[in-house]
Amino acid sequence: MKEENKIIEDMKKEIALERLRQSPLTVNVSFGSDGKFMNRDELIEQVEKNTEFGKRIVNIQIEYLKAFKKGIIISSNG
Amino acid sequence: MAEVLFSRPDDDIMLSYLHYYSKELVKLSNELGHHTIDKEKEDANKKIVTSIILKQKPKLIMFNGHGSPEEICGHKKEVIISAKENAGILKGAIVYALSCASALTLGPKSVKEGATCFIGYDFDFALGKDRDSEASPKHDKLAHLFLKPSNTLFINLLNKKDVKNSVEKAKKEMQDNIDYLHTTDSIPDAIYYAPYLFSNRLGLISCGDSSASID
Repeated sequence: MKEENKIIEDMKKEIALERLRQSPLTVNVSFGSDGKFMNRDELIEQVEKNTEFGKRIVNIQIEYLKAFKKGIIISSNG
Repeated sequence: MAEVLFSRPDDDIMLSYLHYYSKELVKLSNELGHHTIDKEKEDANKKIVTSIILKQKPKLIMFNGHGSPEEICGHKKEVIISAKENAGILKGAIVYALSCASALTLGPKSVKEGATCFIGYDFDFALGKDRDSEASPKHDKLAHLFLKPSNTLFINLLNKKDVKNSVEKAKKEMQDNIDYLHTTDSIPDAIYYAPYLFSNRLGLISCGDSSASID
């Protein structure tokens, strides 16, 4: 079961990373815990290093995709 | 009219955006005739803010600032309210914390110790920013989409709407803005910011009496 969970977590991380890699370098986001703004590469670094923050970014991307699938978010033209 | 307290630090770029956007709320609070106490910049510190809470017992409090599940901070990240130390001073107040993740632990703890209701985020509050508008929050169309729903929430509270209604209005506006990010061409790369605003919508919660208002 633990092995299965790890595989799922690794897949989530890869999906999040792929989505981040598709975004432009100039994406500029801050999270209120420290006030620092991060660009795409800095977000990717957090995910790759498996920091607590990186795990949160993975969670954001996965929850967003789930909502998209459920139709909570409208379809895009982008 | 109610006593309303604002704590508005302004010592980094993100906080400068929150400070700018909450200026409108301070003005409205005054215009509505509430007894408004605005502690901004270096005055948004533990000594001053907690002293006002203890003496004046504001009915409605807005905290801008950095935070964590257990804490809300003020100027230079000084901890103002902590779940371990002084959550009980929020007794009788409706609190809105525009602060990271403080609804996770501090929110329930403060309600357990007597706060009427705690509204906040159970996740890090995210802010997208147009790189070219750094010095000018008022010209930043992207940040507007992240921060205006938060103002909508507090405007409703100031207008004596209940917590449930105010949170629902903010969530609806966030959803509209997420949809807008998906379809607009007027903001460069808008679509890539949608997950972060979605995260704010998901994370906005209240604990305590959601039928409460400052009426």
